[in-house]
Amino acid sequence: MYQENYEDEFVGNIDVVADTYANVNEIEDGEMEDEELLMQQAQAGVQAIPEQVRRFLGHLYRNLKNSTVNDLAYNYENQFVRLSDKYYAKAPWPEPQFVAALVGDDGLFLTLYRELYYRHIYSRLHPSLETRFRSFENYCDLFNYILNSDGPIELELPNQWLWDIVDEFIYQFQSYCSHRSRVAKRSPEEIELLKENSQVWNTYSVLNVLYSLIQKSNINQQLLVSREGGDVIEAAGEFGTRPLYKMLGYFSIIGLVRVHCMLGDYTLALQTLENIDLGNSRGLFTRVTACHVTIYYYVGFAYMMMGRYADAMQAFVHILTFVTRTKHYHQRSLQYDTVNKKAEQMYALLAISVSLSPSRVDDLIQTQVREKYGDQLHKLQRSGGGDEAISVLTELYRYACPKFIMPNPPNYDELEAAVEAMEPQDYQLKCFLREACLQLVVPTLRSFLKLYNTMGLEQLSTFLDIDAAELRNQLMVYKQRCRQVRCTSGTDLLNGEVTPTTDLDFALQDNLIIIAESRVGRRYADWFIRNANKMQDLINNLENRQKAAIAGAGKPNGEEAAATTTAAA
Amino acid sequence: MAAATSFARPSTRPDEIHNLLTGVERYNPQKISVLEDYLAHQCANPDPNTNHDLMANLALLKMYQFNPPMMDLDVIRRILAKALISTSQGDFNLCLYLLSDDICKDMSIAKLLVLRDYLEKAQFDGFWSEMYGNDDDDEESVVDGIAGFDNGLRKLILAEITSTYQTIQAKLIGKMVNLDEEAVLRLAKEHGWDVDAAGVVSLPLKSENEAKTTVIKESIKFDQLTKILCAANDI
Repeated sequence: MYQENYEDEFVGNIDVVADTYANVNEIEDGEMEDEELLMQQAQAGVQAIPEQVRRFLGHLYRNLKNSTVNDLAYNYENQFVRLSDKYYAKAPWPEPQFVAALVGDDGLFLTLYRELYYRHIYSRLHPSLETRFRSFENYCDLFNYILNSDGPIELELPNQWLWDIVDEFIYQFQSYCSHRSRVAKRSPEEIELLKENSQVWNTYSVLNVLYSLIQKSNINQQLLVSREGGDVIEAAGEFGTRPLYKMLGYFSIIGLVRVHCMLGDYTLALQTLENIDLGNSRGLFTRVTACHVTIYYYVGFAYMMMGRYADAMQAFVHILTFVTRTKHYHQRSLQYDTVNKKAEQMYALLAISVSLSPSRVDDLIQTQVREKYGDQLHKLQRSGGGDEAISVLTELYRYACPKFIMPNPPNYDELEAAVEAMEPQDYQLKCFLREACLQLVVPTLRSFLKLYNTMGLEQLSTFLDIDAAELRNQLMVYKQRCRQVRCTSGTDLLNGEVTPTTDLDFALQDNLIIIAESRVGRRYADWFIRNANKMQDLINNLENRQKAAIAGAGKPNGEEAAATTTAAA
Repeated sequence: MAAATSFARPSTRPDEIHNLLTGVERYNPQKISVLEDYLAHQCANPDPNTNHDLMANLALLKMYQFNPPMMDLDVIRRILAKALISTSQGDFNLCLYLLSDDICKDMSIAKLLVLRDYLEKAQFDGFWSEMYGNDDDDEESVVDGIAGFDNGLRKLILAEITSTYQTIQAKLIGKMVNLDEEAVLRLAKEHGWDVDAAGVVSLPLKSENEAKTTVIKESIKFDQLTKILCAANDI
């Protein structure tokens, strides 16, 4: 999930969680004479767990054993959240080893429980370095168990849970990368620890997990076959037919898109999606709202960074329309905050894209953007590429961009250089701004050209207060920048055709600018289709009423009345 | 025109490279030399239509990103120089995103960034003087070892001119592509452009420089009609 709102500003503030965890371990490693003490402690630990939580863990364990996915979904999406709020708003969940006693030391259950336990710490508390290490170990255990068994393992989890596992795995990886690069804030002991444990949260191992999950589930082959026809079951193979493997593989593709974006590799990010048809409104990605929103966020962001603003806008508008329409539906769900935050960020990205490449956007979404970022839009339009525009773009971008990472640890032996190195966040911004500043020519020139049919070069150059030679250059830039590659199919996100993206075109006859505006004609067909549909609904409704009335004619009066009301409803 | 985007597989990409790019081998640092050799191939080929494979070069930059000790700044310089003359405009930035601020501080790479700014701002005379202006320094050019760089670049600039202008003075073209007037007239003849007595070149009209007012008509997708067709089927 996107619990990115806290930064790692605390220094050396080793939190209580890891402390107790470490102590308990020491005791465990201790001599047998402490056994009694140990027993007492364990008993006290178990007893400290509130009754309600104990019952919940029992249910969770049983449902997991019986693979009753619907009940699990309820346990996970509702009860877990409620209990977290009630008992553990500012504390970690009970120690995994106390929980062990409640579930008969079931290894798989405890691994899954630990995943929840650490995730909770990440989202509500400050994870210490040790917690980060242990959480990574736990992920290794989990994925090793899933990937390295001889046959598919017997486990079924709700989609939401599976998505959260993959998503959280990447979030913790990203969080660790930022943590280790901020060397100025690390204590010497921490740096020593980081240095010794370079294999922990290593970029290769994270990518390895994602690629392995994709490979094991044959998900790419499955998607290809289901699109182009063929035997899906055969393509899926032994593992891929199981929902657990299939969904983990699928979510890993989207996780991979995210990792590629975090590393600045936007082409590879889009290429990774080659087998997922974004145009399919029933695609697997729609099953989990957070996943649906995430996929569009990263696709839109990648397009924006590539300078393909038209494609970016299309992606943002599509998903924002979806979020707006389903708002009432997921208001109560646990994904609400995640979805909402991503949506807010996407409005900001949309504001950037619309300003850089002016074009018509869906009315509903356009109004929303105006409401949220009207001020910024106005400033961008007015300033014509000046410093003000840069600062507005920077502000919007910083708020809305994903976190970026360096794939390698900094050089801990040259700390000073590591402190001074530019953060990947700033470097990506710098590259983007370079591009965006050029693009700002478009809105400025457009606002002038819009007013004329023909105009002299000299005349426009006086308006803009630049010399004619520079204006010639700017006009050429406008020409270039108004043509963008646009993707033409749902599956091939990278390739496309170069198309004009502005309604205002022009040509130069030596010193004369000839301007041509394209207009959108009236949309008759759309009107007729909508009204024909409305008419059809009306007729259906009337016919149903008539049928109900006929059917009810022989019955007593009371029932007849009831039948008509239901038909009307 | 060359391919609109640099993402499709170029006809000159061998199977070996293609397999490397589409599998997990793209993370194997032992394959760095294979991609470097392939880049050398691209640099030796002067034909602007087939001599650039962006995806392979991005994969190479990614290898460097993951394995900084194996990084070769001269290779990066050549990748950027190739991206500079690529027909699709975003290529240079896509390469840049995979580098870091430290790499950009390198002399030749910093110079390429300056050159790119001139080019992207269509300040072509500034570009040429930055490229060739300082005759006195013996430094190696930043585009050394790129076959057909000047011609590739001219082709690019000419494409921009022909999509912006309907008529233009020959000497203006000359300035932009860094050729004398005589050479421009030869160029015009080659492309079949008319040049009048005053030295004004008439460029052929194409969709880019036509500037015609159009009315965008709505297009109906089949999906929109499903409900109506279903209803029609019931009758």
